[in-house]
Amino acid sequence: MTPRTARPLRIAVAGAGMAAARLAQQTLAQAPPGTVRITLYGQEPRAPYNRTLLTGVLAGRYAPADLALPTGTAAVHRATDVVAFDPAARTLRTSTGATAPYDVLVLATGAEPVLPAGLHPHGTPGTGRDVPLRGVHTLRTLEDCARLGEDARHAGRAVVVGGGVLGVGTALALAARGLPVHLLHRAPHLMEHHLDAGAAATVRRGLEAAGVRVRTGHAVTALHGGQRVTGAELADGSRHDADLAVLACGVRPRTALARTAGLTVRSGVVVDDRLATSAPGVYAIGDCAEHRGTVHGRAEAAWEQADVLAARLSGARPQARYRGSFALLRLSAGALDVAALGDCTGEHGPDTDSVRLADATRGTYKKLVLRGSELLGALLVGDLTPLGDLTDACERGEPVPPDPLHLLMTEGASL
Amino acid sequence: MRDHHPHLVLVGHGMAGQHFLQALVGRGPAAWRITVLAEEPRPAYDRVKLTSWFTGTTADELSLWPDGFADDHGIDLTLDDPATAIDRTARTVTTRSGRTVPYDALVLATGSRPFVPPVPGHDTPGCFVYRTIEDLEAIRARAGAVGTGAVVGGGLLGLEAAGALRAMGLATHVVEFAPRLMAVQVDEGGGATLRRKIEELGVVVHTGAGAGGIEAGADGTVSGMTLTDGGRIDTGLVVFSAGVRPRDELARACGLPVGERGGIVVDEACRTADPRILAIGECAQAADGRVYGLVAPAYAMAETAAAGLAGDAAAFTGADLATKLKLLGVDVASFGDAHGTGEGALEVLYANSREGVYKKLVVAPDGRLLGGVLVGDTEPFDVLRPLAAAGTPLTTPPEHLVLPAPADGPPGPVTLPDEAVVCSCHNVTKATLRAAVADGGCTDVAAVKRCTKAGTGCGSCVKMIGTVVDAELASLGTPVDRGLCEHFAHTRAELFEIVRVKGITTFSRLLDEHGRGGEGCDVCKPTVGSVLATLNPELGNSVHILDGEQAALQDTNDHFLANLQRNGSYSVVPRVPGGEITPAGLITIGEIARDFGLYTKITGGQRIDMFGATVDQLPLIWRRLIDAGFESGHAYGKALRTVKSCVGQTWCRYGVQDSVALAIELELRYRGLRSPHKIKSAVSGCARECAEAQSKDFGVIATSAGWNLYVGGNGGMTPRHADLLLTDADHATLIRTIDRFLMFYIRTADRLERTAPWLERLEGGLDHLRDVIVDDSLGICGELDALMARHTSTYQDEWRATLEDPERLRRFVSFANAPGTPDPTVRFLPERGQIRPARTHEMAEVGTP
Repeated sequence: MTPRTARPLRIAVAGAGMAAARLAQQTLAQAPPGTVRITLYGQEPRAPYNRTLLTGVLAGRYAPADLALPTGTAAVHRATDVVAFDPAARTLRTSTGATAPYDVLVLATGAEPVLPAGLHPHGTPGTGRDVPLRGVHTLRTLEDCARLGEDARHAGRAVVVGGGVLGVGTALALAARGLPVHLLHRAPHLMEHHLDAGAAATVRRGLEAAGVRVRTGHAVTALHGGQRVTGAELADGSRHDADLAVLACGVRPRTALARTAGLTVRSGVVVDDRLATSAPGVYAIGDCAEHRGTVHGRAEAAWEQADVLAARLSGARPQARYRGSFALLRLSAGALDVAALGDCTGEHGPDTDSVRLADATRGTYKKLVLRGSELLGALLVGDLTPLGDLTDACERGEPVPPDPLHLLMTEGASL
Repeated sequence: MRDHHPHLVLVGHGMAGQHFLQALVGRGPAAWRITVLAEEPRPAYDRVKLTSWFTGTTADELSLWPDGFADDHGIDLTLDDPATAIDRTARTVTTRSGRTVPYDALVLATGSRPFVPPVPGHDTPGCFVYRTIEDLEAIRARAGAVGTGAVVGGGLLGLEAAGALRAMGLATHVVEFAPRLMAVQVDEGGGATLRRKIEELGVVVHTGAGAGGIEAGADGTVSGMTLTDGGRIDTGLVVFSAGVRPRDELARACGLPVGERGGIVVDEACRTADPRILAIGECAQAADGRVYGLVAPAYAMAETAAAGLAGDAAAFTGADLATKLKLLGVDVASFGDAHGTGEGALEVLYANSREGVYKKLVVAPDGRLLGGVLVGDTEPFDVLRPLAAAGTPLTTPPEHLVLPAPADGPPGPVTLPDEAVVCSCHNVTKATLRAAVADGGCTDVAAVKRCTKAGTGCGSCVKMIGTVVDAELASLGTPVDRGLCEHFAHTRAELFEIVRVKGITTFSRLLDEHGRGGEGCDVCKPTVGSVLATLNPELGNSVHILDGEQAALQDTNDHFLANLQRNGSYSVVPRVPGGEITPAGLITIGEIARDFGLYTKITGGQRIDMFGATVDQLPLIWRRLIDAGFESGHAYGKALRTVKSCVGQTWCRYGVQDSVALAIELELRYRGLRSPHKIKSAVSGCARECAEAQSKDFGVIATSAGWNLYVGGNGGMTPRHADLLLTDADHATLIRTIDRFLMFYIRTADRLERTAPWLERLEGGLDHLRDVIVDDSLGICGELDALMARHTSTYQDEWRATLEDPERLRRFVSFANAPGTPDPTVRFLPERGQIRPARTHEMAEVGTP
């Protein structure tokens, strides 16, 4: 740990997203008054906000201001990137040209949308622009959200490319605005990293009930259009006309800053259980960090990392360690509720059992995966009532009762 | 015999043919002179229950041909002489023997033949089909000489055949070309559950593979089978069960139209293109264009044809392919649109791999039940099928229909709408059944069956009819039939009295004289078996439960005098009275377990169970046990299990009586006593109650002045503390009271009713019990005492008697492999220094022989 001196510990945070805000708020709340000073440098022109609710803003359920996150007394530099730092000298340089000393630097640079190479318009190859056509959007920031929302007001029909959590949420949000939406997904079923085929089919029916038309099993190979997008072409040669396209094809960690400074980077910036990078005095948390080989890419994990680092830096628990996050995915988008915890997909070993209870007439699908009395994972679609009990059992490793079925039963179905 | 009646010729005497005859003669006085031309050497028999032949049901018991049927109705039945040609112009049938039979009407019920895929070597000796009793005899003969058997075809009949091979001790393989078992009836999830349960029994399942070729060994008989996926099975026996083809060759040869994929084309009245010729059952292509291979549609067609010939209008327009059956011990059912192919069909699913349960319903968007698949628990079938047939939206949330039944019982017929068809063979609705009770004056199932014809087709709905009738009677305030099952109007207690008083010695006589007709079922057969076993000494019967007709009445465990375990092996449990055993006895058990590689476990009943024996090892193991002075522990029977004891006064500083001596005396006194359920007991030497006597059916606790007797206790799922019946009793009073308690219980309890619920149910409870067996208020104590005296004086050890009698022993040896050959269906892995059954996923690692 950095030795305490009479002057406050200067913590600089590269990034002003969800992990950064949480770190600032938690550290300042726990540290003795006057012992730390935190500065956040964010690329976006606004204070930190809850990115996981962006589709709610798009759907009109939230106003942008509702998403604001507290940062305590931290200084927040908006529209200001950290462009370089010197671990030996413990100084950093920003996009405004300023140089600042720090005692501790925390990388919380987040992630950026992946834009598949094939999605360039016919006739304008190599334009050099990430998003080459008008009407083509990504959804990562409130600015993206505002642009997409404005564009959607004039659009006639939309395609959403990618059937992961963001794609499903975006498709529902656009449909809720009354726009005809096609959701196009390359894998045979939606959200395949988190759901099994039965749960995915239930989600799909939920989407279709909400007016979203779904096509799976074919990748989008091209976006067509001149000035503005006119449609998407699938690998099977079929075309979907659209004057609005949202690319929700996943994100990748933003690691350029760390790489340039010579830190160890694999998929993300590699950190240990103390969340320390390979450079002294430099930490990484959130979507840019890779811990024990995993880039979690989820807000809950980012917050857990922020909490551990805050406990260390504030002196509240100097020995605190981060040992990984329990996999919990949750999507609540209008009528559609989905939760996936632990591991529920793929082939289970022969010593595992599963209990499924599904009622397509009510749009529910619930599944437990068990090994003996250990709950390995659970899927819930359409009915999240059991989520609390299941999270406890899964996360704390509490043994499940001999008849685990009642864990899935809800008020209405209890006999 | 020529008379004025027109001549009806029935070609084929299988189930459809016989049902047709019964339907025809049931329609009143003879209007036809009937000739039956049969191919098989015996009259019609129950092919649906064919597999039970392997477990002791005789060909006579399978027969559907009642004694005197031919004479009563003037039917001329010729066996072993199939029809070979039809001359439609001359209106004659020619048989193999050259006989020519003229007809005025001709009914073709020629059935179907098993399809044998034309793979190389398919006719090698050792290859069989599974259709007739003769086929089964040939399979059994071959099974005695080989270690492994393979079934080609993982459908309904293939799995039946696999079950039979496995029961004969063969390592059993099932080869199915489709990607899952029972592909016609069940969906992917149901097939997976079925597969898992079947693999747990040690059957090796190959899906997505067909038979490639049959290999012959040096002796020219089957030695192996190659598979189309490149695999090979080392097997000495192959059963082809890959579907059936209608036998329509007679019709083809005389120019009658047949369907594209076979089957004699008939109209809704089951008439062929020739108005004088009808066709029914599996040889016919029904008016809906389908060829049905199930018994219920065959029966419905038989009745349609009979009605037509009697001058009544009737139509067979098609049938639901609903199926409910038990295959290899796994319950499977499907009905309606089981695969959810309908537009917008929605699935409601409960699947629990731990319980081996998979239940799926297919529901239309408007809430109508379209169909479903049930694996592992088919209890809801009786409600679901009529609900699906009713075609009205469900009023119960569909989830409730698939979830395990709550404690207060499954959703009963009350949830069925009136328009639900309960009997699909005769298209009888719930409303019709209710009307038969409410307006028709019917008061029992038999009357309702007569009045509505419901339940007289395939019979699968009879249980459901019973529930509907009971519910209706109850709603009318009429006393409900408390009969054991559809075959007996009496309770078990009443049957016990009938058997005792009238001295009835066989099930068939009891059924003839006191039954409601039929052949008996899984409920009444074991119940009567148990009653007879209790009363055998009284009746002068053989006291051995495997003798004579009794053998076929027993449950599986009684069948082999051993307990079936989860991987198909059996456990061996010698009696250790009171838990007292000599060092030499311990060594004997140890040596036997070691020599046969058995897993040993000390049980809660203070004795030693040995697990992992194969059927063929059972007589060998028991020979050594009996030579060392052991006897059967009846762990397999509904009988006294053990009398547990603490060490008692002899050694224990607190003991006030010799609990071990009393426990031994009680265990030897009541050993082998057949009862409605198992009986457990214990004796404690002082009030500290170390033997837990108050959790037993009868328990004794020593006092300084004598013995306290407790009765009606239970451990297990619904624990009940026993009630104190006697205080400070002397030895003679104690024994006498227990004698009477047990006999009174055996006489009056329901089937599978332990003493605890029996006592709860007994009117007047413990006081009444004390009145009857202590104060003799009913004057029956003399009878009870005499019954027990008869039991104790005629007791013989079932295993000793079995070993001494080659006839009884044949049951074990005839199913066994060559002596010394380990049974390869049963595989084990080491764990904690002993063996344990291999789990399904470990089968491959243990290896396929």
